[in-house]
Amino acid sequence: MISISMKNAKKSFGEKEVLKDVTFETYEGEIFGLLGPSGSGKTTIINILTKQLTVDDGESYVSVNSSEIGLMLEHDGLYSRLSCLDNLIVFEDIYGISRTQTLETLDRVGLTDAKKTIVKQLSHGMRQRLVIARAVLHNPKVLFLDEPTSALDPLTARGIYKLIGDLRDRGSTIFLTTHNMEEATNLCDRVIMLHNGTIIEQGAPKDICERYNSFKTTMDLESVFVQLTGGTAQ
Amino acid sequence: MRNTKAVFKKQFKDTLKNPAQLIQFIIFPLIAFVMSALIVTDFEGVPDDIAEIIAASMPTINMVTMQATVFVGMGLITVIPGIISEDMEKKSLRFLMMAGVKPVSYLLGVSGVLFFVSFFTSIAFSFISEFSGLDFWIFTGAMMSGVAASIILGGMFGILAGNQQAASGLVLPIALILGFGPMIAQFNDTVANILHVSYTQQLNVIADYLTLGGGDTPLWQSFAIMWANVAVLGVLFALIYRKKGLKR
Ligand SMILES: Nc1ncnc2c1ncn2[C@@H]1O[C@H](COP(=O)(O)OP(=O)(O)OP(=O)(O)O)[C@@H](O)[C@H]1O
Ligand SMILES: [Mg+2]
Repeated sequence: MISISMKNAKKSFGEKEVLKDVTFETYEGEIFGLLGPSGSGKTTIINILTKQLTVDDGESYVSVNSSEIGLMLEHDGLYSRLSCLDNLIVFEDIYGISRTQTLETLDRVGLTDAKKTIVKQLSHGMRQRLVIARAVLHNPKVLFLDEPTSALDPLTARGIYKLIGDLRDRGSTIFLTTHNMEEATNLCDRVIMLHNGTIIEQGAPKDICERYNSFKTTMDLESVFVQLTGGTAQ
Repeated sequence: MRNTKAVFKKQFKDTLKNPAQLIQFIIFPLIAFVMSALIVTDFEGVPDDIAEIIAASMPTINMVTMQATVFVGMGLITVIPGIISEDMEKKSLRFLMMAGVKPVSYLLGVSGVLFFVSFFTSIAFSFISEFSGLDFWIFTGAMMSGVAASIILGGMFGILAGNQQAASGLVLPIALILGFGPMIAQFNDTVANILHVSYTQQLNVIADYLTLGGGDTPLWQSFAIMWANVAVLGVLFALIYRKKGLKR
Protein backbone atom coordinates (compact mmCIF):
# COMPACT_ATOMS: atom_id res chain seq x y z
CA MET A 1 0.00 0.00 0.00
CA ILE A 2 1.33 3.39 -0.95
CA SER A 3 1.56 5.62 2.05
CA ILE A 4 3.29 8.75 0.72
CA SER A 5 3.94 9.79 -2.85
CA MET A 6 4.91 12.64 -5.12
CA LYS A 7 4.39 12.73 -8.83
CA ASN A 8 6.21 15.17 -11.09
CA ALA A 9 6.21 17.71 -8.29
CA LYS A 10 7.60 21.15 -9.05
CA LYS A 11 8.25 23.99 -6.64
CA SER A 12 9.94 27.34 -7.07
CA PHE A 13 10.57 30.17 -4.68
CA GLY A 14 10.63 33.22 -6.92
CA GLU A 15 13.28 32.57 -9.56
CA LYS A 16 14.75 29.67 -7.66
CA GLU A 17 13.55 26.31 -8.92
CA VAL A 18 13.96 24.08 -5.89
CA LEU A 19 12.06 21.00 -7.06
CA LYS A 20 12.17 20.47 -10.82
CA ASP A 21 10.56 17.09 -11.21
CA VAL A 22 10.26 14.88 -8.17
CA THR A 23 8.54 11.50 -8.27
CA PHE A 24 8.68 8.79 -5.61
CA GLU A 25 6.52 6.39 -3.64
CA THR A 26 6.77 5.25 -0.03
CA TYR A 27 5.06 2.10 1.17
CA GLU A 28 3.29 1.38 4.40
CA GLY A 29 5.59 0.06 7.10
CA GLU A 30 8.91 1.17 5.72
CA ILE A 31 11.56 3.57 6.89
CA PHE A 32 12.20 5.83 3.98
CA GLY A 33 15.19 8.17 3.82
CA LEU A 34 15.39 11.40 1.86
CA LEU A 35 19.03 12.28 1.27
CA GLY A 36 20.40 15.38 -0.32
CA PRO A 37 22.89 18.17 0.19
CA SER A 38 22.00 21.20 2.25
CA GLY A 39 19.59 23.41 0.36
CA SER A 40 18.50 20.67 -2.03
CA GLY A 41 14.85 20.89 -0.95
CA LYS A 42 14.40 18.15 1.65
CA THR A 43 12.55 20.34 4.11
CA THR A 44 10.55 21.76 1.22
CA ILE A 45 9.36 18.24 0.34
CA ILE A 46 8.28 17.58 3.94
CA ASN A 47 6.50 20.92 4.02
CA ILE A 48 4.63 20.05 0.84
CA LEU A 49 3.65 16.59 2.07
CA THR A 50 2.39 18.03 5.36
CA LYS A 51 0.41 20.70 3.48
CA GLN A 52 2.33 23.64 4.83
CA LEU A 53 3.27 24.44 1.22
CA THR A 54 1.61 23.64 -2.07
CA VAL A 55 3.25 22.33 -5.23
CA ASP A 56 3.37 24.60 -8.26
CA ASP A 57 2.68 21.62 -10.45
CA GLY A 58 2.37 17.86 -10.01
CA GLU A 59 0.89 15.88 -7.14
CA SER A 60 1.62 15.09 -3.53
CA TYR A 61 -0.21 12.46 -1.52
CA VAL A 62 -0.28 11.17 2.05
CA SER A 63 -2.67 8.30 2.79
CA VAL A 64 -3.74 9.37 6.29
CA ASN A 65 -5.30 12.54 7.69
CA SER A 66 -3.35 15.02 9.73
CA SER A 67 -4.28 13.65 13.15
CA GLU A 68 -2.53 10.37 12.26
CA ILE A 69 0.67 12.11 11.28
CA GLY A 70 3.61 12.64 13.61
CA LEU A 71 5.96 15.50 12.95
CA MET A 72 9.42 16.66 13.73
CA LEU A 73 10.30 19.84 11.87
CA GLU A 74 13.22 22.22 11.75
CA HIS A 75 11.63 24.36 14.45
CA ASP A 76 10.85 22.56 17.68
CA GLY A 77 7.69 24.56 18.48
CA LEU A 78 7.98 23.70 22.18
CA TYR A 79 6.48 25.85 24.94
CA SER A 80 9.65 27.10 26.57
CA ARG A 81 8.10 28.04 29.91
CA LEU A 82 6.35 24.70 30.40
CA SER A 83 7.89 21.46 31.63
CA CYS A 84 8.57 18.47 29.38
CA LEU A 85 5.51 16.69 30.70
CA ASP A 86 3.27 19.75 30.35
CA ASN A 87 4.38 20.13 26.74
CA LEU A 88 3.28 16.58 26.03
CA ILE A 89 0.05 16.95 28.01
CA VAL A 90 -1.15 19.54 25.48
CA PHE A 91 -1.05 16.83 22.82
CA GLU A 92 -2.20 14.10 25.18
CA ASP A 93 -5.36 16.20 25.59
CA ILE A 94 -5.72 16.82 21.87
CA TYR A 95 -5.29 13.17 20.90
CA GLY A 96 -7.24 11.93 23.90
CA ILE A 97 -4.61 9.43 25.03
CA SER A 98 -3.82 8.26 28.53
CA ARG A 99 -1.32 9.74 30.94
CA THR A 100 0.31 6.32 31.18
CA GLN A 101 1.02 6.41 27.47
CA THR A 102 2.51 9.90 27.78
CA LEU A 103 4.79 8.83 30.62
CA GLU A 104 5.82 5.73 28.68
CA THR A 105 6.75 7.88 25.71
CA LEU A 106 8.85 10.16 27.92
CA ASP A 107 10.54 7.05 29.22
CA ARG A 108 11.25 5.76 25.73
CA VAL A 109 13.24 8.92 24.92
CA GLY A 110 14.97 8.85 28.31
CA LEU A 111 13.38 11.96 29.73
CA THR A 112 11.63 10.47 32.76
CA ASP A 113 13.99 12.19 35.17
CA ALA A 114 13.55 15.48 33.36
CA LYS A 115 9.78 15.43 33.10
CA LYS A 116 9.38 18.34 35.51
CA THR A 117 12.22 20.35 33.95
CA ILE A 118 11.08 23.38 32.01
CA VAL A 119 12.02 23.36 28.35
CA LYS A 120 14.13 26.51 28.61
CA GLN A 121 16.54 24.60 30.84
CA LEU A 122 16.96 21.55 28.60
CA SER A 123 20.11 20.82 26.64
CA HIS A 124 19.83 20.75 22.87
CA GLY A 125 19.82 16.98 22.75
CA MET A 126 17.14 16.76 25.43
CA ARG A 127 14.96 19.21 23.51
CA GLN A 128 15.34 17.09 20.44
CA ARG A 129 14.31 13.99 22.35
CA LEU A 130 11.26 15.80 23.65
CA VAL A 131 10.36 16.81 20.11
CA ILE A 132 10.61 13.18 19.06
CA ALA A 133 8.47 12.15 22.02
CA ARG A 134 5.81 14.61 20.91
CA ALA A 135 6.01 13.29 17.35
CA VAL A 136 5.47 9.64 18.33
CA LEU A 137 3.14 10.24 21.30
CA HIS A 138 -0.01 9.10 19.49
CA ASN A 139 1.59 6.21 17.60
CA PRO A 140 1.17 7.98 14.26
CA LYS A 141 0.56 6.00 11.07
CA VAL A 142 2.93 8.28 9.21
CA LEU A 143 5.90 9.95 10.83
CA PHE A 144 7.88 12.78 9.24
CA LEU A 145 11.27 13.46 10.77
CA ASP A 146 13.41 16.31 9.52
CA GLU A 147 16.96 15.45 10.56
CA PRO A 148 15.97 13.61 13.72
CA THR A 149 19.39 12.73 15.03
CA SER A 150 21.47 15.79 14.24
CA ALA A 151 23.02 17.01 17.49
CA LEU A 152 22.42 13.75 19.33
CA ASP A 153 25.14 11.70 20.94
CA PRO A 154 25.55 8.21 19.45
CA LEU A 155 23.91 6.49 22.39
CA THR A 156 20.79 8.63 22.36
CA ALA A 157 20.68 8.37 18.59
CA ARG A 158 20.60 4.61 18.95
CA GLY A 159 17.67 4.91 21.33
CA ILE A 160 15.89 6.96 18.72
CA TYR A 161 16.65 4.38 16.01
CA LYS A 162 15.09 1.76 18.24
CA LEU A 163 12.02 3.93 18.71
CA ILE A 164 11.69 4.47 14.99
CA GLY A 165 12.21 0.76 14.36
CA ASP A 166 9.51 -0.19 16.87
CA LEU A 167 7.07 2.17 15.25
CA ARG A 168 7.82 0.68 11.84
CA ASP A 169 7.29 -2.81 13.21
CA ARG A 170 3.84 -1.71 14.29
CA GLY A 171 3.10 -0.79 10.69
CA SER A 172 3.84 2.93 10.63
CA THR A 173 5.61 4.58 7.75
CA ILE A 174 8.61 6.72 8.65
CA PHE A 175 9.82 9.40 6.30
CA LEU A 176 13.07 11.00 7.38
CA THR A 177 15.69 13.33 6.03
CA THR A 178 19.30 13.03 7.03
CA HIS A 179 22.81 14.09 6.20
CA ASN A 180 24.20 11.08 7.95
CA MET A 181 24.86 8.38 5.38
CA GLU A 182 25.76 5.75 7.91
CA GLU A 183 22.46 6.36 9.63
CA ALA A 184 20.64 6.05 6.33
CA THR A 185 22.42 2.79 5.51
CA ASN A 186 21.66 1.17 8.83
CA LEU A 187 18.20 2.52 9.42
CA CYS A 188 16.39 3.00 6.15
CA ASP A 189 14.67 0.32 4.11
CA ARG A 190 14.84 2.52 1.05
CA VAL A 191 16.30 5.92 0.26
CA ILE A 192 16.10 8.51 -2.47
CA MET A 193 18.82 11.00 -3.28
CA LEU A 194 17.80 14.50 -4.19
CA HIS A 195 20.11 16.72 -6.18
CA ASN A 196 19.51 19.79 -8.34
CA GLY A 197 15.78 19.44 -7.97
CA THR A 198 15.48 15.86 -9.16
CA ILE A 199 15.85 12.34 -7.78
CA ILE A 200 19.19 11.04 -8.91
CA GLU A 201 19.15 7.62 -7.28
CA GLN A 202 16.78 5.43 -5.31
CA GLY A 203 16.47 1.99 -3.77
CA ALA A 204 17.63 0.00 -0.77
CA PRO A 205 20.95 1.38 0.53
CA LYS A 206 22.68 -1.97 -0.04
CA ASP A 207 21.41 -2.24 -3.60
CA ILE A 208 22.52 1.27 -4.39
CA CYS A 209 25.99 0.61 -3.08
CA GLU A 210 26.25 -2.62 -5.04
CA ARG A 211 25.29 -0.86 -8.22
CA TYR A 212 28.30 1.38 -7.84
CA ASN A 213 30.71 -1.23 -6.64
CA SER A 214 33.46 -1.71 -9.10
CA PHE A 215 36.11 -4.19 -9.68
CA LYS A 216 38.39 -2.58 -7.14
CA THR A 217 36.28 -0.64 -4.67
CA THR A 218 33.39 -1.43 -2.39
CA MET A 219 31.22 1.64 -2.23
CA ASP A 220 29.37 2.87 0.80
CA LEU A 221 26.41 5.21 0.51
CA GLU A 222 28.50 8.24 1.25
CA SER A 223 30.91 7.57 -1.61
CA VAL A 224 28.02 7.00 -3.98
CA PHE A 225 26.46 10.23 -2.80
CA VAL A 226 29.66 12.19 -3.23
CA GLN A 227 30.24 10.67 -6.66
CA LEU A 228 26.73 11.46 -7.87
CA THR A 229 26.60 15.01 -6.57
CA GLY A 230 30.09 15.78 -7.77
CA GLY A 231 31.12 16.42 -4.20
CA THR A 232 29.72 19.91 -4.22
CA ALA A 233 26.92 21.33 -2.16
CA GLN A 234 24.71 23.89 -3.86
CA MET B 1 -14.37 21.31 22.54
CA ARG B 2 -11.60 18.90 23.53
CA ASN B 3 -9.10 20.98 21.60
CA THR B 4 -10.33 24.23 23.12
CA LYS B 5 -9.88 22.68 26.54
CA ALA B 6 -6.37 21.50 25.67
CA VAL B 7 -5.42 25.00 24.54
CA PHE B 8 -7.06 26.53 27.61
CA LYS B 9 -5.04 24.29 29.92
CA LYS B 10 -1.81 25.02 28.12
CA GLN B 11 -2.45 28.75 28.11
CA PHE B 12 -3.44 28.84 31.75
CA LYS B 13 -0.23 27.11 32.83
CA ASP B 14 1.79 29.31 30.52
CA THR B 15 0.23 32.55 31.72
CA LEU B 16 0.92 31.61 35.34
CA LYS B 17 4.56 30.97 34.43
CA ASN B 18 4.99 34.14 32.43
CA PRO B 19 5.65 37.08 34.77
CA ALA B 20 5.54 39.61 31.93
CA GLN B 21 1.98 38.51 31.17
CA LEU B 22 0.81 37.87 34.70
CA ILE B 23 1.85 41.32 35.85
CA GLN B 24 -0.76 42.88 33.53
CA PHE B 25 -3.46 41.27 35.66
CA ILE B 26 -1.97 42.24 39.01
CA ILE B 27 -0.31 45.60 38.64
CA PHE B 28 -3.41 47.77 38.03
CA PRO B 29 -5.44 46.66 41.05
CA LEU B 30 -2.24 46.95 43.05
CA ILE B 31 -1.68 50.54 41.94
CA ALA B 32 -5.33 51.33 42.66
CA PHE B 33 -5.01 49.81 46.11
CA VAL B 34 -1.86 51.71 47.00
CA MET B 35 -3.06 55.01 45.57
CA SER B 36 -6.45 54.84 47.29
CA ALA B 37 -4.71 54.11 50.55
CA LEU B 38 -2.45 57.13 50.05
CA ILE B 39 -5.16 59.62 49.21
CA VAL B 40 -6.48 61.24 52.36
CA THR B 41 -10.20 61.00 52.72
CA ASP B 42 -10.33 61.26 56.45
CA PHE B 43 -10.80 64.82 57.61
CA GLU B 44 -11.25 64.13 61.26
CA GLY B 45 -9.98 66.95 63.39
CA VAL B 46 -9.95 69.33 60.44
CA PRO B 47 -12.43 72.19 60.72
CA ASP B 48 -15.46 71.68 58.46
CA ASP B 49 -14.97 74.72 56.25
CA ILE B 50 -11.32 73.86 55.61
CA ALA B 51 -12.14 70.22 54.92
CA GLU B 52 -14.66 71.38 52.34
CA ILE B 53 -12.05 73.47 50.56
CA ILE B 54 -9.57 70.59 50.53
CA ALA B 55 -12.18 68.18 49.24
CA ALA B 56 -13.20 70.58 46.48
CA SER B 57 -9.62 71.05 45.32
CA MET B 58 -8.86 67.32 45.24
CA PRO B 59 -9.06 65.57 41.88
CA THR B 60 -12.34 63.84 41.28
CA ILE B 61 -10.55 60.96 39.65
CA ASN B 62 -11.29 57.72 41.37
CA MET B 63 -8.28 55.45 41.45
CA VAL B 64 -10.24 52.27 40.91
CA THR B 65 -12.10 53.76 37.95
CA MET B 66 -8.87 54.93 36.42
CA GLN B 67 -6.86 51.76 36.94
CA ALA B 68 -9.72 49.52 35.88
CA THR B 69 -9.98 51.47 32.63
CA VAL B 70 -6.24 51.33 32.07
CA PHE B 71 -6.26 47.59 32.75
CA VAL B 72 -9.04 46.87 30.27
CA GLY B 73 -8.03 49.40 27.64
CA MET B 74 -4.28 49.06 27.77
CA GLY B 75 -2.89 46.19 29.84
CA LEU B 76 -5.20 43.46 28.63
CA ILE B 77 -5.18 44.52 24.98
CA THR B 78 -1.46 43.86 24.70
CA VAL B 79 -1.65 40.35 26.14
CA ILE B 80 -3.43 38.40 23.44
CA PRO B 81 -1.41 39.65 20.45
CA GLY B 82 1.66 38.73 22.48
CA ILE B 83 0.42 35.18 22.94
CA ILE B 84 -0.67 34.67 19.34
CA SER B 85 2.47 36.11 17.83
CA GLU B 86 4.72 34.15 20.17
CA ASP B 87 2.94 30.93 19.25
CA MET B 88 3.35 31.80 15.59
CA GLU B 89 6.96 32.83 15.85
CA LYS B 90 8.01 29.77 17.78
CA LYS B 91 5.96 27.57 15.44
CA SER B 92 4.09 25.94 18.31
CA LEU B 93 0.83 27.03 16.66
CA ARG B 94 1.82 25.03 13.60
CA PHE B 95 2.09 21.86 15.65
CA LEU B 96 -1.33 22.47 17.15
CA MET B 97 -2.88 22.93 13.71
CA MET B 98 -1.14 19.87 12.34
CA ALA B 99 -2.60 17.91 15.23
CA GLY B 100 -6.04 19.00 14.06
CA VAL B 101 -6.71 22.01 16.28
CA LYS B 102 -8.87 24.49 14.37
CA PRO B 103 -7.91 28.18 14.58
CA VAL B 104 -11.28 28.88 16.21
CA SER B 105 -10.60 26.35 18.99
CA TYR B 106 -7.20 27.86 19.52
CA LEU B 107 -8.54 31.42 19.73
CA LEU B 108 -11.35 30.37 22.05
CA GLY B 109 -8.95 28.52 24.36
CA VAL B 110 -6.55 31.44 24.60
CA SER B 111 -9.26 34.07 25.06
CA GLY B 112 -10.99 31.86 27.60
CA VAL B 113 -7.94 32.01 29.86
CA LEU B 114 -7.68 35.78 29.59
CA PHE B 115 -11.39 36.16 30.33
CA PHE B 116 -11.06 33.86 33.31
CA VAL B 117 -8.01 35.56 34.79
CA SER B 118 -9.50 39.01 34.13
CA PHE B 119 -12.47 38.00 36.25
CA PHE B 120 -10.16 37.81 39.26
CA THR B 121 -8.67 41.17 38.43
CA SER B 122 -12.18 42.58 38.31
CA ILE B 123 -12.95 41.05 41.70
CA ALA B 124 -9.80 42.63 43.09
CA PHE B 125 -11.03 46.04 41.93
CA SER B 126 -14.43 45.38 43.49
CA PHE B 127 -12.74 44.44 46.70
CA ILE B 128 -10.72 47.66 46.80
CA SER B 129 -13.84 49.70 46.06
CA GLU B 130 -15.82 47.68 48.57
CA PHE B 131 -18.54 47.08 46.00
CA SER B 132 -21.19 44.69 47.18
CA GLY B 133 -24.67 43.55 46.23
CA LEU B 134 -26.01 45.06 43.03
CA ASP B 135 -23.05 47.42 42.68
CA PHE B 136 -20.73 44.45 42.58
CA TRP B 137 -22.67 42.84 39.74
CA ILE B 138 -22.98 46.08 37.79
CA PHE B 139 -19.25 46.65 38.07
CA THR B 140 -18.41 43.04 37.23
CA GLY B 141 -20.76 43.17 34.24
CA ALA B 142 -19.18 46.35 32.96
CA MET B 143 -15.65 45.04 33.50
CA MET B 144 -16.28 41.73 31.75
CA SER B 145 -17.98 43.48 28.82
CA GLY B 146 -14.91 45.66 28.47
CA VAL B 147 -12.67 42.61 28.85
CA ALA B 148 -14.55 40.87 26.03
CA ALA B 149 -14.16 43.88 23.76
CA SER B 150 -10.44 44.15 24.52
CA ILE B 151 -9.85 40.45 23.93
CA ILE B 152 -11.52 40.64 20.53
CA LEU B 153 -9.63 43.79 19.62
CA GLY B 154 -6.36 42.28 20.82
CA GLY B 155 -7.11 39.15 18.81
CA MET B 156 -7.44 41.27 15.69
CA PHE B 157 -4.00 42.74 16.25
CA GLY B 158 -2.61 39.29 16.89
CA ILE B 159 -3.91 38.08 13.54
CA LEU B 160 -2.73 41.18 11.71
CA ALA B 161 0.74 41.31 13.21
CA GLY B 162 2.27 37.86 13.04
CA ASN B 163 5.28 38.73 15.17
CA GLN B 164 5.67 40.15 18.62
CA GLN B 165 7.37 43.37 17.62
CA ALA B 166 4.81 44.30 14.98
CA ALA B 167 2.05 43.38 17.39
CA SER B 168 3.16 45.79 20.10
CA GLY B 169 3.78 48.50 17.49
CA LEU B 170 0.23 48.17 16.21
CA VAL B 171 -1.40 47.91 19.60
CA LEU B 172 0.29 50.72 21.47
CA PRO B 173 -1.42 53.80 19.97
CA ILE B 174 -4.90 52.28 20.26
CA ALA B 175 -4.16 51.03 23.76
CA LEU B 176 -3.07 54.52 24.83
CA ILE B 177 -6.27 56.08 23.52
CA LEU B 178 -8.50 53.44 25.09
CA GLY B 179 -6.60 53.30 28.36
CA PHE B 180 -5.92 56.97 29.03
CA GLY B 181 -8.51 58.70 26.84
CA PRO B 182 -11.26 58.50 29.48
CA MET B 183 -9.00 60.22 31.98
CA ILE B 184 -8.34 63.09 29.60
CA ALA B 185 -12.06 63.19 28.83
CA GLN B 186 -12.69 64.25 32.42
CA PHE B 187 -10.96 67.54 31.73
CA ASN B 188 -11.90 68.01 28.10
CA ASP B 189 -15.45 67.92 26.75
CA THR B 190 -14.44 67.50 23.12
CA VAL B 191 -12.47 64.38 23.99
CA ALA B 192 -15.38 63.21 26.12
CA ASN B 193 -17.78 63.61 23.21
CA ILE B 194 -15.54 61.74 20.81
CA LEU B 195 -14.84 58.93 23.25
CA HIS B 196 -18.49 58.66 24.24
CA VAL B 197 -18.97 55.74 21.82
CA SER B 198 -15.96 53.79 23.08
CA TYR B 199 -16.27 50.97 25.57
CA THR B 200 -13.53 52.13 27.91
CA GLN B 201 -15.16 55.54 28.23
CA GLN B 202 -18.43 53.85 29.21
CA LEU B 203 -16.63 51.54 31.63
CA ASN B 204 -15.27 54.69 33.16
CA VAL B 205 -18.74 56.24 33.29
CA ILE B 206 -20.23 53.17 34.97
CA ALA B 207 -17.42 52.87 37.52
CA ASP B 208 -17.68 56.57 38.32
CA TYR B 209 -21.43 56.22 38.69
CA LEU B 210 -20.86 53.50 41.27
CA THR B 211 -18.13 55.28 43.21
CA LEU B 212 -18.99 58.97 42.87
CA GLY B 213 -22.69 58.90 42.06
CA GLY B 214 -24.82 59.66 39.00
CA GLY B 215 -23.66 61.20 35.75
CA ASP B 216 -25.36 62.35 32.55
CA THR B 217 -25.44 58.95 30.89
CA PRO B 218 -28.02 56.48 32.16
CA LEU B 219 -26.65 53.10 33.13
CA TRP B 220 -28.54 51.17 30.47
CA GLN B 221 -27.13 53.42 27.79
CA SER B 222 -23.57 52.84 28.96
CA PHE B 223 -24.11 49.09 28.84
CA ALA B 224 -25.77 49.34 25.44
CA ILE B 225 -22.77 51.22 24.09
CA MET B 226 -20.35 48.66 25.54
CA TRP B 227 -22.24 45.76 24.01
CA ALA B 228 -22.48 47.55 20.70
CA ASN B 229 -18.70 47.83 20.86
CA VAL B 230 -18.40 44.10 21.45
CA ALA B 231 -20.73 43.42 18.51
CA VAL B 232 -18.96 45.77 16.10
CA LEU B 233 -15.53 44.47 17.10
CA GLY B 234 -16.83 40.91 16.72
CA VAL B 235 -17.94 41.61 13.16
CA LEU B 236 -14.66 43.37 12.35
CA PHE B 237 -12.77 40.45 13.80
CA ALA B 238 -14.72 38.01 11.66
CA LEU B 239 -13.96 40.04 8.55
CA ILE B 240 -10.25 40.27 9.27
CA TYR B 241 -10.12 36.62 10.24
CA ARG B 242 -11.81 35.64 6.98
CA LYS B 243 -9.39 37.69 4.98
CA LYS B 244 -6.15 36.88 6.78
CA GLY B 245 -6.84 33.69 8.72
CA LEU B 246 -4.39 32.55 11.32
CA LYS B 247 -0.98 32.45 9.65
CA ARG B 248 0.97 29.57 11.03
N1 LIG C 1 9.91 30.04 2.08
C1 LIG C 1 10.96 30.10 1.27
N2 LIG C 1 11.16 31.20 0.52
C2 LIG C 1 12.21 31.28 -0.32
N3 LIG C 1 13.12 30.31 -0.50
C3 LIG C 1 12.99 29.20 0.22
C4 LIG C 1 11.90 29.03 1.14
N4 LIG C 1 11.99 27.81 1.70
C5 LIG C 1 13.09 27.24 1.17
N5 LIG C 1 13.69 28.07 0.27
C6 LIG C 1 14.87 27.76 -0.52
O1 LIG C 1 14.68 26.49 -1.07
C7 LIG C 1 15.91 25.74 -1.08
C8 LIG C 1 15.67 24.41 -0.38
O2 LIG C 1 15.43 24.63 0.99
P1 LIG C 1 15.19 23.44 2.00
O3 LIG C 1 15.01 24.04 3.33
O4 LIG C 1 14.11 22.59 1.47
O5 LIG C 1 16.57 22.66 1.93
P2 LIG C 1 17.04 21.40 2.78
O6 LIG C 1 17.38 20.32 1.80
O7 LIG C 1 16.09 21.07 3.82
O8 LIG C 1 18.39 21.94 3.42
P3 LIG C 1 19.06 21.57 4.83
O9 LIG C 1 19.70 20.23 4.67
O10 LIG C 1 20.09 22.63 5.01
O11 LIG C 1 17.99 21.60 5.85
C9 LIG C 1 16.94 26.61 -0.41
O12 LIG C 1 17.72 27.22 -1.42
C10 LIG C 1 16.14 27.66 0.31
O13 LIG C 1 16.82 28.87 0.32
MG1 LIG D 1 16.13 21.16 5.91
